[in-house]
This record gives sequence, C-alpha cells and structure tokens, in this order.
Amino acid sequence: MNQSELIDRLSEQTGNTKTKTKELLGNAIDVLTKQLMNGNGVSVPNLGTFSTKVNPEKKVYNPHYEAYMLVPEKRVVEFTPAAGLKDDVKFIGNKDE
Amino acid sequence: MSEKITFKELVELIAEQSRQSQASANSFIHELVGIIESGLKSSGSVSISGFGKFELRWMNERTGTHPQTGEEITIPAQNKVVFKPYKALREEVNKPYSFLKTRLIREEYEEIPAGFEEDEAEEAGKKNTGISGVSSTAFKKGEKDLPTVDELLIIHDNPHFSGGKRIPKIDTSIPLPKPLALPDEDKMAGEVQKSGSFKWSYAAAVIIALIAFLLLFYMMQNAGEPELAQTPQQTEQELTSPPAPAIEGEDVAAEPDDAAVPDADGVMADEGTEQTVQTEFTTETYNVEPGQSLWTIAESRLGNPYLWPLLYHLNSNVLDNPNQLPAASDLNIPRLSNSDNLNSFEREQVALGYFSLYEWNRVNNPEEARYFLWAVGVFSPDLLDSPPSQVNPDDLAFARNR
Repeated sequence: MNQSELIDRLSEQTGNTKTKTKELLGNAIDVLTKQLMNGNGVSVPNLGTFSTKVNPEKKVYNPHYEAYMLVPEKRVVEFTPAAGLKDDVKFIGNKDE
Repeated sequence: MSEKITFKELVELIAEQSRQSQASANSFIHELVGIIESGLKSSGSVSISGFGKFELRWMNERTGTHPQTGEEITIPAQNKVVFKPYKALREEVNKPYSFLKTRLIREEYEEIPAGFEEDEAEEAGKKNTGISGVSSTAFKKGEKDLPTVDELLIIHDNPHFSGGKRIPKIDTSIPLPKPLALPDEDKMAGEVQKSGSFKWSYAAAVIIALIAFLLLFYMMQNAGEPELAQTPQQTEQELTSPPAPAIEGEDVAAEPDDAAVPDADGVMADEGTEQTVQTEFTTETYNVEPGQSLWTIAESRLGNPYLWPLLYHLNSNVLDNPNQLPAASDLNIPRLSNSDNLNSFEREQVALGYFSLYEWNRVNNPEEARYFLWAVGVFSPDLLDSPPSQVNPDDLAFARNR
C-alpha cells in the first residue's frame, strides 16, 4: 500500500477531504519525526514503539580499497511492533495455513 | 534526551500542530493505525512518504533456546513487522552525528595494543575506540581543528584514491581538497605553486629597492675611491661571510634577486657547499587572532599552508600541542625568500618542524606519527638519514619506502 492508497482509505474512514487528510498525516509525521530527532521514544498503541539508539563506531573492511574503514557513530530509528499487531499479522500469507 | 513520551502527549502535540481537538487527533491516529494494520494484512507493506515503510518479513522456521529454561525450542516460521525509515527521517535522526564521516584506517591499526586505546580514551575524556584519536575528538568538540597532514596522507596512501572522485566518499570532513606535497619533487613544486597566494613580486620589488638604497649609501660614503663598482659588493660580502672569496660576495649580493627569478636546485646546492648558507630567519611578530590556526596563518603569511610545521618549530616555546593555538599569542613568522621555491635552509627548517611534530605525535598519537616522519623526508631527505633524535625504525622504513 502506498501513500496515495493510504490517504484514500484514511479520508474514506474519517470523512475528511483528501487534502485535509494529507495535511493531518503530514502533521502527525512531523510531530513523530521531531520527537525522534530529540531522541525521545514515541509509542503508538496497537502499532508499536519508535525509539532511537546510537550505534557505536565500528571498523569495517572495504574490499575495494583493501583497507579498513572506521564508520562513525550513528543514531538510528528503532521500531518495536506492538504485541497486538505482531500477533495479528504473524501467519498471514503462510502457505501451511 | 532519550525519554519516552506518552501517547497522550503525542496526541496533544499533534492536536496543537494541526489546530484540532485532541479527540479528533486521537481518533485520527487510531484510524491511521487501523489502516496501517489492514494494509499490512492485505498487501504486506505500507509506505508513508517522508517517514518510512512498514513491511512484513517472512521468517523461516529456526531453532532457538528458551530464554528461561535454556532448552532448545523450535521457533515456527512467522511474519515479522519491520519498519524501514526513509532517508528524510534517517537524516533528521542522525543530525547530531552527521558531521562524523567514514574514514580510512590502516590494517596495521589492528595490532595496536589494547592498553594504548584505554590511555587515549581517558585522555580524550570520552569513550572513543581510539583509532581516530586526537583529531576525532577535536571534531567532536566542534572546533575547526587545523587539518593535520596525516589525515591528508591517509587518502594518498592508497593508490586507488588518486582517482579523485573517490576522495569525497572517504573523508569529506577534511577541508583539504589539495593534496600535500607528493613524494615526487616536481609534483610537489607544482602543488606549492598552485597554493602559493602571497604576491612575492611585491616583496622582491621592496628588497631590490632596499639593495639599491644600500648601494647608493655606500657609493656616497666611498665617493672618490677609484673602484666604485667593486666596493659595495665587498662591503656586502664582509657583512655576511668575511672569509669567503670576492666572487661569492657577488652571489650574496645577487641573492635577493632570486626572489623574483625562481632558483634552480643546482644553485641552491652551490650555495650550500660554498658556505654562504643562511643560518637564521628574519622574523616578524604576529599576533594570533581568534579563529586562526597555524594552517591559516601559514597560508596567509607564508603563502603555503603546508609550511605550518615551520611555525610550530619556530614557536616551540609558545606552542606545545600543535593542534592548539592559544588565542592572542605572539608568533614569530619567518620571512621566506620565496614560498614557491624554498632554499635548502628553509627546507631543512620545515623538515625540522615536521620532525618536531613527529616527536609530539609519537607520544600523543603514535599510529599517525610516521606520516610526519615521511613529510620530513619530503622536505629534507638528509634529515631522514641523520635524524636529530631517536626515531622508531619501523617509522623510518615507512617514511623511506613511501
């Protein structure tokens, strides 16, 4: 499902226009991003928890240069799905079922 | 930092941003979550532009250990929800660290004894894997640290890097697009000429005017004597090197003109053998302004930033750490005959500067010290043959074989 499909269905369900829905979604994403930017974790019920962590710097081998590179520290987003969501989708598309 | 905000706070923030009631913001989020879940169920992925993509990933059956009992269990095949942040979000989140760049390190660093790393980390005041050492710490403080040669040399160490377009990938944090003097002397001269910006023709004009004035002065003093033309040269000769024969006096008198006409290596060598060697710099005092580094001062005053070790060498009484320049300190700035073409004395002094940097780095930054030793060899191979103090034989071999 891509962005426009998402907007279509959201506007259907909330009864807002697509433009309005798009704006609302944008605002929600903005707020989420801002919180993550400040290093805050955000948990959304039934969806999961967004948090950030800092990956320490590490040494990697670059085969092209035949030398080691030092990859610096990096802050990344982590997502832990909520238990409900996890269980709901666990066996979708499972050929055995 | 890194605290968790509750869903209630999130709803409040969203309601505020979109000027809506909290109730509608709340229901909006719930609708959104419901649609994301149904989207995952129906198509296996939901993408939100500017944010990221939720995806289902099928995990095959695998064995694991029960976390409490420790017995082996079979984890059945199942779907996992993964979230892949898009670039915009990744960059926003990584912003505090975005100034750090990937850089090349040498394989030999693998062999650094563990004890050293701890020492260095303590010194740096921050847990640091130790490889980037002093310079990396300086970057973390956000200082515009003066670029050190070793950082530059790392790039040049590998032949692949001469490909130019690769360089930015490796280390764009170094504000040094120009390579340092290469081992090849010709190329070095080329680089030096490119980077030299000081208008030496003006300096030459001033010197010539001074000489003319001196000649006039002596002519007036010696008026009446028959050999007018010869006298000034002899006087000049007496001033500089009394025991030298008269012919060399001409050389000395002519020397300032060399500033205008680039000197050939042969002439410099002759000067060296004929004992008319310069033994001291004429220096002037320079007051350091905030924001300046040895590198920028060398660039503006000496005409070539790569000569900054010379400043370090000449001001060793003021400077201890070459990476730190106390504000408002007074530095002795030498006057070079021609920054595009150093004479043998100046080359030796620059080499000595690099050598003192080598000594400093051997104590404080051992794994990068040898690049300074290599730079010593570039400016004065003789000094490498007879170093002023003990050098590490490994470093010496490295400096010679580059």
